[in-house]
Amino acid sequence: MKEYSIIGKPTPNVDGPAKVTGEAAYTIDMTLPNMLYGKLLRSPYPHANILSIDTSKAEELPGVKAIITGKDTPGGKWGLWRRFRELSDQQALATDKVRFIGDPVAAVAATTEEIAEKALDLIEVEYEPLPAVFDPIEAIKDDAPMVHEDFPSNINATRHIEWGDVDKGFAEADYVREDRFVLEAAHPCAMEVHNSLASYDKGTGRLTVWTSTGSPYFVQQNLAEALKLREGDIRVIKPHVGGHYGGKNSTMPDAVNAAILSMKTGRPVKIVYNRDEEFTTTEHRTAQNMALKIGLKKDGTIVAFEVKTMTNGGAYTGLGATTLYLTGTFITMPYKIPNYRYDGVRTYTNIVWGTSIRGFGAVPAKYCSETQLDRAAKDLGIDPLEIRRKNAVIPGYEAPGQYKFESCGIQPCIEKMAVRVKEKWPKLEKDEGIGYCAFAYMSGGIFNWIDTPYAYSSAHVKVNWDGTVDLYSQAADVGQGHNTVAAMICAEELGIGIEDIRLHMGDTAHAYTDLGAWGSRETLMNGNAIKDAAAQVKQKLIDIARLKLGENIAYDLVAKNKRIFLELRPERGLSYYDLVKDAIRANDGVPLTGTGHYTPHNKGMISPAYGMGIMAMKAKVDRETGHVTVQDVLVVHDSGQIINPLGARGQVEGSIHMGLGYGLCEEMPMDQGMLLNPEFVDYKILRTRDMPEIEILDVPTYEPNGPFGAKEAAEATIAPAAPCVANAVYQATGAEFYSNVLKPEKVLKAIREAEKKQKASKATGK
Amino acid sequence: MAKHYRCPMCRKICAEHLDLARHYLGQTDKKHKEWLKTQGLSYAALIKAQVTEFGNKGYQALADVLKKTAAEVEI
Repeated sequence: MKEYSIIGKPTPNVDGPAKVTGEAAYTIDMTLPNMLYGKLLRSPYPHANILSIDTSKAEELPGVKAIITGKDTPGGKWGLWRRFRELSDQQALATDKVRFIGDPVAAVAATTEEIAEKALDLIEVEYEPLPAVFDPIEAIKDDAPMVHEDFPSNINATRHIEWGDVDKGFAEADYVREDRFVLEAAHPCAMEVHNSLASYDKGTGRLTVWTSTGSPYFVQQNLAEALKLREGDIRVIKPHVGGHYGGKNSTMPDAVNAAILSMKTGRPVKIVYNRDEEFTTTEHRTAQNMALKIGLKKDGTIVAFEVKTMTNGGAYTGLGATTLYLTGTFITMPYKIPNYRYDGVRTYTNIVWGTSIRGFGAVPAKYCSETQLDRAAKDLGIDPLEIRRKNAVIPGYEAPGQYKFESCGIQPCIEKMAVRVKEKWPKLEKDEGIGYCAFAYMSGGIFNWIDTPYAYSSAHVKVNWDGTVDLYSQAADVGQGHNTVAAMICAEELGIGIEDIRLHMGDTAHAYTDLGAWGSRETLMNGNAIKDAAAQVKQKLIDIARLKLGENIAYDLVAKNKRIFLELRPERGLSYYDLVKDAIRANDGVPLTGTGHYTPHNKGMISPAYGMGIMAMKAKVDRETGHVTVQDVLVVHDSGQIINPLGARGQVEGSIHMGLGYGLCEEMPMDQGMLLNPEFVDYKILRTRDMPEIEILDVPTYEPNGPFGAKEAAEATIAPAAPCVANAVYQATGAEFYSNVLKPEKVLKAIREAEKKQKASKATGK
Repeated sequence: MAKHYRCPMCRKICAEHLDLARHYLGQTDKKHKEWLKTQGLSYAALIKAQVTEFGNKGYQALADVLKKTAAEVEI
């Protein structure tokens, strides 16, 4: 691996000092002079016609400045699946009917939050309740209530993937098994709730919105559709974001209604969700039913695989249809599967909708496939690590018409894991088990369902007289550390220090488009755009240096350590700062600029690159209580050239935390569409003291599609956490799980069933 | 020159009736869904068969109908 000055060095977060001192401004901290506070009145019914809305009493309340209902909105519908216009199904306020408990029906702007809340109580809405549907299997029936009139049987999206000859593959298999799973929903639980501040300038007709989002560009597009304005008349600014985790890709009613209220009142309006609203009305990880059929040879080679999925989509689309697609993709990775068939359907139901939560598609998929693989391995008498090694992909492997692995370190990862496990856990105690899961995840999505006409990512670099660099991009740091990665890539390419870079990120008025932070796309996609922009400036400096040095034109010049010098004669060079001055003078006094863009081409259907690896977890089961203690986690990870090892480590730990929550305790029980645990008292997430020790080993590779060989570095590690726990319990006790969330009662029941099965097996001698 | 088959509702052409059925059930517009009714098929029932049972049951049922109805094209 190449040694860099900045890339690959553990680097503290550039936003760290501001964040730990409380100086960093989040949308939730912001106020503007003359600002009003907005609140949304929400439906108490999961499905109902709106017969009438009477706002007269609320309007009389002193301090209330505006009240809007569906008829007062511009009426534009929006969504993230813009390529399929009928799936742009969100609206500011329900007009004819409500589709889930929490669908907003009216919005108030008042001088204080308390007055706005009081006004909500004075609005009278007459509903006609309708039959509702909450389950995907019920939703698809011919006589099911229709959530959206144009979608018979509530089919929101379907997806079919197939390669090879699946039926022939199963016919040739020595061993075939089928398993059916039910996966629970989970909430992203960002500390900063959804909130937006909108300010409309009636003089210019322009709107500015500050919002807690993962994609300022998505919000700009969606606001233009919702408000029937031009994109160019809307500026979206993303301040610091207090957590995203996939739950902030969609434009939500806070941004749209704050904008409408600001347009109506001529004053800035801010809407902040409370925690209850955050849980009950914002997007979550989709619950789904999955059926898997796998065929293997006696030696453990996979010969055929078939997967069927029904997802409980909820009332609107969001990025849920993308999740459906990615489930069918990530469930195959990182294995060589010669014959594969996938069918998925996403159903509309009368609950809040599911979407693209961290590791989207991969998390439920891997839970099912990796627990099934362990059972198959046991039946065939093959070591669980060996069956994964045997089937793992190699560099250049291609799933026909779908994806291709260029850099690919999964085989060395598994080999390294085998060695380290023996050293780390030489002996297991009673009721302890080790669970494994191999994984892979994208470095940004190639698919363009948002239908952007722009490059997927862009960046602009301006070098000033004093050598400082202004880096502009719409790319979004949402807590994952992209600002630091962006500064590191820019500084490395120019051969200067991070302290020379000034960031101007996440503002649609300042920079060309970037599609935002989802699917681990920023490092590779925005990183390529930044590197491209910086390289253009570097070339200008190199040209000036070449002139001044007058060396043989065959000699290569490089930028490093704030100098530009001959690669083979480092002593012959010039100061970066001096060259910048000369270059600007030579450029008629114009600062040096470069604009970089990145759009993937000819890289399949999914992503230009994939991070991958294998995780092992040691867990102990209490056979009396069913309590599972995860004692230790080991990850061997191929993330290409890691840009910032410090940031990557933090992200891996965060992913494992979230993945363990999915496996052990996080759930969203509902009764007739009503969430039963919409507070942190009842919604259980793991605390710091619940977390096991985590050891991370790297297998470095060079990804040709990534900046400096980088690719996805952490999101992949959420998916293996839950199956590792389930597999560890399986290895320790024989207990089989067909759903996530291993609460003690579920574990106890599964252990008892396993014991019965073992007894019967002994009795029959099979 | 080889025989291909045209979707009854749009310009899509496929070499196999099964591929044409896959295309057909991937369309979300009303026009495609309505035509199924005229053939005595239910869009929901076909999708349900495809996603709840292993195999290509939903697609095969539609492919059987397309064998009788889809126009042939020589390419």
